[in-house]
Amino acid sequence: MKNLFKFIIGSVSLFFFSSVQADTIKWLHLTGESSPEYPNFVRAVEEFEAKTGHKVEMMYLENESFKAKLPTMLQSDDRPDIFNSWGGGVMYAQAEAGFLRDISDVITDEYLSTLSAAAANAFVYKGQRVGVPRNVSQVTWWYNKDLVNQAGVDVNGIKMWDDLLSAVKQIKSAGITPICIGGKDKWPVHFIWTHLHIRNGGESLFLESLENGGWDRPEYIKSGEQMLELVALEPFQDGWLSHTWPDQAGFFGDGKCAMAFMGNWMYPAQKSNSASGEGLGDDNMGIFSMPMTPGALGDSADTLGGINGWLVSKTAPDSAVEFLMHLVSADIQNEDAAKGAYLPVVKGADKSITNPLLAQVANNIGNSQYHQIFYDQFLGPDIGRVVNDVSTDLAAGIISAEEAAQLVQESWEFNQ
Amino acid sequence: MFSNFRSYYMYLFLFLLAGIIFIPLYVSIAGGFKTIGDLRTNSLGLPTEWIVSNYTSLLVDNKFWLFTWNSVLYAAGTTFLVILLASMTAFVFAHMKFIGSRFLFNYFILGLTFPFATAILPLFLRVRDLGLLGSVWAVILPQIAFGLAFAIILFRGFFRQMPSELFDAAFVDGCTYSQFYFRFTLPLSTPIIATVAVINLVGSWNNYLLPLIMINSESLYSWPLGIMVFRGEYITDWPKILAFVSLTLIPAVVFFLALQRFIVAGLTGGAVKE
Amino acid sequence: MQSPKFNALLSKYSTLVIFIIPALTIFTMFVVLPIIEAAYYSFYRWDGYGDPNKYVGLKNYKYLFKNKTFILSLKNNFYIIAISLFLQLPFALLVALMISDKIRGANFFRTVFFLPYILAEIVTGLIWAYIYDGNYGMVAAIWNFFGAEPPHMIAEKETAMIALYIVIFWKYFGIHMMIYIAGLQNISKEVLEAARVDGAGPVTTAWRIKIPIILPTIRLSVFLSILGALQLFDIIMPLTGGGPSNQTHSMVTYLYYFGVMRMKFGFGSAIGVVIFLICFTIALTYQRTLMRKD
Repeated sequence: MKNLFKFIIGSVSLFFFSSVQADTIKWLHLTGESSPEYPNFVRAVEEFEAKTGHKVEMMYLENESFKAKLPTMLQSDDRPDIFNSWGGGVMYAQAEAGFLRDISDVITDEYLSTLSAAAANAFVYKGQRVGVPRNVSQVTWWYNKDLVNQAGVDVNGIKMWDDLLSAVKQIKSAGITPICIGGKDKWPVHFIWTHLHIRNGGESLFLESLENGGWDRPEYIKSGEQMLELVALEPFQDGWLSHTWPDQAGFFGDGKCAMAFMGNWMYPAQKSNSASGEGLGDDNMGIFSMPMTPGALGDSADTLGGINGWLVSKTAPDSAVEFLMHLVSADIQNEDAAKGAYLPVVKGADKSITNPLLAQVANNIGNSQYHQIFYDQFLGPDIGRVVNDVSTDLAAGIISAEEAAQLVQESWEFNQ
Repeated sequence: MFSNFRSYYMYLFLFLLAGIIFIPLYVSIAGGFKTIGDLRTNSLGLPTEWIVSNYTSLLVDNKFWLFTWNSVLYAAGTTFLVILLASMTAFVFAHMKFIGSRFLFNYFILGLTFPFATAILPLFLRVRDLGLLGSVWAVILPQIAFGLAFAIILFRGFFRQMPSELFDAAFVDGCTYSQFYFRFTLPLSTPIIATVAVINLVGSWNNYLLPLIMINSESLYSWPLGIMVFRGEYITDWPKILAFVSLTLIPAVVFFLALQRFIVAGLTGGAVKE
Repeated sequence: MQSPKFNALLSKYSTLVIFIIPALTIFTMFVVLPIIEAAYYSFYRWDGYGDPNKYVGLKNYKYLFKNKTFILSLKNNFYIIAISLFLQLPFALLVALMISDKIRGANFFRTVFFLPYILAEIVTGLIWAYIYDGNYGMVAAIWNFFGAEPPHMIAEKETAMIALYIVIFWKYFGIHMMIYIAGLQNISKEVLEAARVDGAGPVTTAWRIKIPIILPTIRLSVFLSILGALQLFDIIMPLTGGGPSNQTHSMVTYLYYFGVMRMKFGFGSAIGVVIFLICFTIALTYQRTLMRKD
């Protein structure tokens, strides 16, 4: 009935307005109204609607609901035209299943040349361009200067994994919770384990494992053992397994723990999730990279992070792509970068970053020869989630380092 | 004396138990009126300051009413169609002799042992391939299908107990089967219709898994989906979540107290009559 | 010319067909076929698009029974059944015996004890998620009041299952109590009167007369309790979501997280088939043996 109605309306409007057909673009995003980039979302929509006469319908889902809902949503008529993506294997799976649209015919070379090439190419799969990048990110240790000083820890001295462990011990003995973590969501935990992978194994072993398996090799077992050393110190807040990522951000913003291992989106999130809405002051926060491990094959400049973007679904109209070109534009990205909302992908927009912490992150990514995308996204929906599961199991002390590595390998074999 | 002593302990026990049942409901409703700080330090007491905005902001929220309305739609559609289809089928089993009737009846009975979660993925594919995904039918049709078996059994049992004289007399008067069904069977079956209605209304109203998988657009969310999304957005802002919880709690309790007889008879009687 | 008898037959069969076809079609399409399809898909690796073409034999089942989380979810289901049968049902029976007689306040207690059963599982889960919350919850508040470090009931792997049992107990003992009361009220007054004349006290009457008479009712509630436990899903989702680190999954939440959310139609179907076989076997043996007499 509803479809019939739509059909009639559609046919009628096609008949009358076939020259200026107005589309309704459904845009699914994960950005709450309190986020710093939200105002520019609204602005982009208003400008685009005024300019083209198309309509953009914004739909918001919270991070975890989004991940749960998207797979079924893409198969229904309610599928969004534009939606959030972290690239990598999850995106490949979506492309393989035929959910995504090749937008090469709409997007212009002139526009593409304004984007960082590495970021733009992250949304090309088997020669098809399926989306547009939005921002890059890096996962680092974040610390609360007051609390760290109170414990007498010098973070500049943290160069090796053991240094981090002693820092945690020192913070803990000062009666301060060393690390906040969102164990319920699992992915915040996997950052630690997989960043140790990046240190211990480096790019070459990652690519080798991706091709031929071997996720249970000694280098990766070593990451598990190192993680268990950390876990043995009981570094996380009480009840961490029932806390989500927004909890984690809120705790850090409220100064309830000294450190957190998180991507640079921590910067706005610790504000918006804190009790006061203010979070920690800029001068009370610092970051440092994951320390090196003994015998590491990776380089200390290697980074773990993301290249996020917007994917276009298979039935999206051309206007959806036009909207994206408007949304990810120099004008908007410069402004957002200045606000410290995220690290932009439009060339030159990083110069607008005023916040020293984010500038430092941008610098890290620029210096990195190997920027590994988050494992849980890069390894695809299945293996990626296994990595999240086993990381959390490791942190909960349920499995051994060998078992953890073994489980990932099994999942890899199962998916061959 | 001994008896009084014993009944003293019995009442103590019963009141204690009633307290354990009540406290979670009370703290939810009271919690919805508290500030987060009040909730943390004073979770059992009455609110030190009554914050009504958690409730009122929901009551003026169109989404809240939309989710409620959608749930009404799912429940009413499912219940009406289960009653109609199951009673028609049961009527055939109760009053008509035909080859294969026993086999067919057993075929339906089989449905009793199928928890619908087991076939949720093929069910999803079926609904998708029929192009129904994200429509009200994606929820209603599977709910009907899984409600039929039990309803048919209940209806058949009831129809069989109807006096056969009535049937014979009607036939002599030239009444057809379908006329008999509409004129006599249905009007005389209100008790069993009430039982089947209660089972399906409550089941559909509270259903979570099916809408979770079938419904994607917020405009069709049932209230359990809505409340879970709300929970996802407000995480630790418990007063807001508890206010939402309480707002769904109150109508359920009122509905239950008002129609207690029907509901208890429906939910337990339905089980016992099997 | 058609004979009246033929007309009557025609009318009978057309009614039969018209009355039975809609239910039969819906039932077959949405109940029977999906179960058969699940069995078929479970031998494939398939993302749900096109025809299933990657035949993997028993690989899905092998992976499943090697998977610790699935084994744990299976165990959890059976622990829940055990707790229901050995604690919840006897407790419900005890309460039913207390308030099935016309004692003062019987109706009040029945209403109150039955109340949790009519609440939605989602709401029940959310209420208890709040109660157990280690920072804001009621349990934490009580602990804080006594100056103790509050436990994070649903965050610790040792206590999360206990927390879940308590919720299940709280929510479901009322329905079983009500079923028993319905059975107890059907016992004829004469039997009870005779027992009273013989000088049997309340305990003896309950043990020797009431319980044996309502045994069929008890068997039924045991059956409902087992099948209910095997399908547990809605309460777990808002309460623990299967956490901490996959310690509190039931088979159905496992199916949701590992099959549905990852859109693994073959693997997910295999999980479904296992759940189905367990339910079916239990139902069948139960009906063939214990409930046959009833």
